[in-house]
Amino acid sequence: MTKKAFNPDVDAPKWKGGYHPYDIVKEGSIAIAVILVLTLVLAILFGSPDEKAITIKTWSNAAPLDFANTTLEELNGTSTTAAYGAPYNTASTGQQLGPLQLAKWVGVRIPVNAAKDFVISPLKSLPDQPALDHQLAVWSAASTSTKNSWLTSYGKAKVKFVNGQVVANTTTAGPVPVMINQLTQMARSGALDQALVTGHGFYTTDYTKPLLFLADSEYLAGLADHQHLTGDQWGMMNETGNYPGQSWLWLYTFWYQIPPFKTSANADVLVWGLMMVLSAVLLLVPFIPGLRSVPRKLKLYRLIWREHYQETE
Amino acid sequence: MAFILSFAALIPLDSLGHYIHWGWVEISVANFIIIVLMIATFIAAITAPFPGRRRRKENR
Repeated sequence: MTKKAFNPDVDAPKWKGGYHPYDIVKEGSIAIAVILVLTLVLAILFGSPDEKAITIKTWSNAAPLDFANTTLEELNGTSTTAAYGAPYNTASTGQQLGPLQLAKWVGVRIPVNAAKDFVISPLKSLPDQPALDHQLAVWSAASTSTKNSWLTSYGKAKVKFVNGQVVANTTTAGPVPVMINQLTQMARSGALDQALVTGHGFYTTDYTKPLLFLADSEYLAGLADHQHLTGDQWGMMNETGNYPGQSWLWLYTFWYQIPPFKTSANADVLVWGLMMVLSAVLLLVPFIPGLRSVPRKLKLYRLIWREHYQETE
Repeated sequence: MAFILSFAALIPLDSLGHYIHWGWVEISVANFIIIVLMIATFIAAITAPFPGRRRRKENR
């Protein structure tokens, strides 16, 4: 039986030197104590990010016309949510990796009908609104082409916010002006926030719908841009204010800054795929000839254990 | 209220962030400081002598 050849990347030579006692528990305890003191001192000095939550009430009061415009987009199916595809709807193919239609394969797991869930159903939940109920009945009875004609007319009209009301300069938009104005009033009172989270079981902790609605707005995008949190601002690694963020995500967010990811509609899945490949390479370093030799050839260990090498050589 | 305020951060960092722009690279000053500190800690960990080294030499 032949003896297996010594491989410096895989095999460790037999240690022939001396041994010193080393208390790793003591070192670990000291490290934890230092981390604890540092955490307390930094928490007292700097605190943590405490941005006030943004609700639909906040948004509709700060930018009622943006809210009205986003509501129109939910109704005509051009908002990000309405046109997203899986997991919310079947409006588009969604993210795909070459021929692999990954989002479509996952399917509609969180069904969201933007027009119905964000606009029509909340409006129907308003009590004692006979005029609005009539307009909603007109909307429901109309054909798709009529609805589209009304929505197009509203989109072309000059819309203003006057005396707390959203007013559209059009007479050919059917019930749309009343619906959008009423939803804006509902949002400004805070009732829409509640209407979008209720009906999901005993605990009302499912904020999917209000968050999606909010994410469709220009208002939230503007706030994110102001705080340097958008994708093209390396936002994935940033935090609000002057707080340090997730700097370890530098590589993930880096890909979004360069072509082809920067301009691709499938950037999310492309970057994810690339990071999975790179993560696999990192995980498999011990098995990749050449790459696994880098630490040995770099000889950084000789710098760390220089005292030992000074004594033995 | 005073009780709550007494637990507020001594140096709050909630004001609008400062950013370093270098071509298409953009990084917050806070992240940059953290990265510099991490690199400095790494270099210190490699180059600083092991604790107890002098004592071990004296005992030899």
